[in-house]
Amino acid sequence: MIHVRDLKKIYKVPVKQPGVWASVRSLFDREYREVRAVDGITFDIAAGERVGFLGPNGAGKTTTLKMMTGLLHPTSGEVSVSGFTPKHRDDAFLRTVTLVMGQKQQLLWDLPPTETFALHRALYDLDLRAWKESLDELVELLGLAAFMDQPARNLSLGQRMRCELAAALLHRPKILFLDEPTIGLDVEAQVIVRAFVSAYHARHGATLLLTSHDMDDVAAMVDRVLLIDQGVIRFDGSLPELARRFGSGRRLVVRDAHADFSSIGLTRAGETWEVTVDASDINARLSAVLARSPAAEVTVSDPPLEDVLRKAFGESRPAAAP
Amino acid sequence: MSRLTRATQIGSALIRTSLLTAMQYRSDLAFDAFAGLLRTIATSAPLLLVFQRDQTIAGWTLPEAAWVMSLYLLMQGILGGLVEPNLGEVVESVRSGNFDLVLMKPADAQLLVSVRTVAPSHIWDVLASILLAGWAVSQGGAPTPVNALVAFGLLICGLASMYALWLMAISLSFWFVRVDNLRFLLWSAADAGRWPIQVFSGWARTVLTFVIPVALLTSFPAMALRGQWDLSALATAAGVAVTFVVASRLAWTRALASYTSASS
Repeated sequence: MIHVRDLKKIYKVPVKQPGVWASVRSLFDREYREVRAVDGITFDIAAGERVGFLGPNGAGKTTTLKMMTGLLHPTSGEVSVSGFTPKHRDDAFLRTVTLVMGQKQQLLWDLPPTETFALHRALYDLDLRAWKESLDELVELLGLAAFMDQPARNLSLGQRMRCELAAALLHRPKILFLDEPTIGLDVEAQVIVRAFVSAYHARHGATLLLTSHDMDDVAAMVDRVLLIDQGVIRFDGSLPELARRFGSGRRLVVRDAHADFSSIGLTRAGETWEVTVDASDINARLSAVLARSPAAEVTVSDPPLEDVLRKAFGESRPAAAP
Repeated sequence: MSRLTRATQIGSALIRTSLLTAMQYRSDLAFDAFAGLLRTIATSAPLLLVFQRDQTIAGWTLPEAAWVMSLYLLMQGILGGLVEPNLGEVVESVRSGNFDLVLMKPADAQLLVSVRTVAPSHIWDVLASILLAGWAVSQGGAPTPVNALVAFGLLICGLASMYALWLMAISLSFWFVRVDNLRFLLWSAADAGRWPIQVFSGWARTVLTFVIPVALLTSFPAMALRGQWDLSALATAAGVAVTFVVASRLAWTRALASYTSASS
């Protein structure tokens, strides 16, 4: 479905020293330096996969996404999406994909979303029946009926984002590129967006590529993670594999307000007791907990994704030169 | 579906939403309409003022010069109403990165940016152009069918050239983020098109024919209506139009390839 080979995007950015004289000099003799935003990445994504691109700011996630959508032309390397070369912007390719950007909007600002939907019908050349069927489904899944006839500028951010998703998916794309789709949304709207994306994936078997800094997005919407840092892939695998590779162990949470587990190394966090231990230690620690309180409610899970990623980003960076 | 049918379908959908947007704010629409009417009057008035003093200018009588003005108003209506407002839009969307979402649509991006916004107040220009043409016909007799046909051909060449010039200006916004001043420069230069080209000296005529080819759109068709045309004039107009259109398409394609989007 998606094949990326040794993909690079290198920018030339001007370098300027501070001060008036340096500014005058840079008018005539400008110095540049190379920024390797994406530095030779290779991966494959199968149809129907849900993949998250994770990394700190400036890691190269969005640049990679934009090269896969054809918005940016690679400096070198190859990208093939559903058999197309994205930068050629074939009509058939653009009908297969969609891009949702949490920080940018395509709704017509002064008009109700229904007008954007009508415009998209013309842009994607959808016949009336297919368009109506798709619209009805999206209106129902996203709960748009109550506000889709109000001008977009009068909608809340959450309502706008739901309409943005509808506009982006009216043509029933097979590949969804989601660039921080929940950024700035309140918790309720985030939950709606995540549930909708998962439902769309389940109904239409779409391939999902997501960038996000929100770990709840990642946990809810993807199965596979590509960890990108400084333009290269540092990890490619499932979420549990990521936790095993970078997580420091397993997290044990015991809900028992009456017992005291401090002597076996657990710390109290409100109603619960918690500890993160090495995977090989988990059985012994679990036995100790149950010996003290056989009826305790016990949960064993991977450590929080935030902790795993913090550690992953820390470890993935090459050691600084002395 | 042919490319032309599809382009017409998309173009009309875009113009429809632009008009809906314009009608969303009633007071703005009324004010724009009033300002547009004043602009149309201000554009045409100098012609009458000049002819109050002289019977002819550079060999052109008032009805003949009215054709030039009529064609200039038509250009102002089409370029100002359909093309020029989009220059500002594209500059802003390239700067903000919203142009990403234009590029994601399965339609020619050039078409999408060319008719995304319309300025309905320019309808006065088109109406005044028709009125002025009607008056010129009533004063000087109707042009022969052949002359009218040649004038129409020249008009198309001129419109295509001027549109291409604007597209090249839009393309520049991909490399130079601040090209707003170019809009004013282009209008100022195009302003010369409201006068018969014989009014200007040699080098200015060359500029108005080959660099900012507004004369192709105004003086050349007006001369054709008087029967003043030959094959070399037609070939020149067609050559200029083809050169401009090809160059603008190349500039546009190169601009898209070098689009750097904006950081999110």
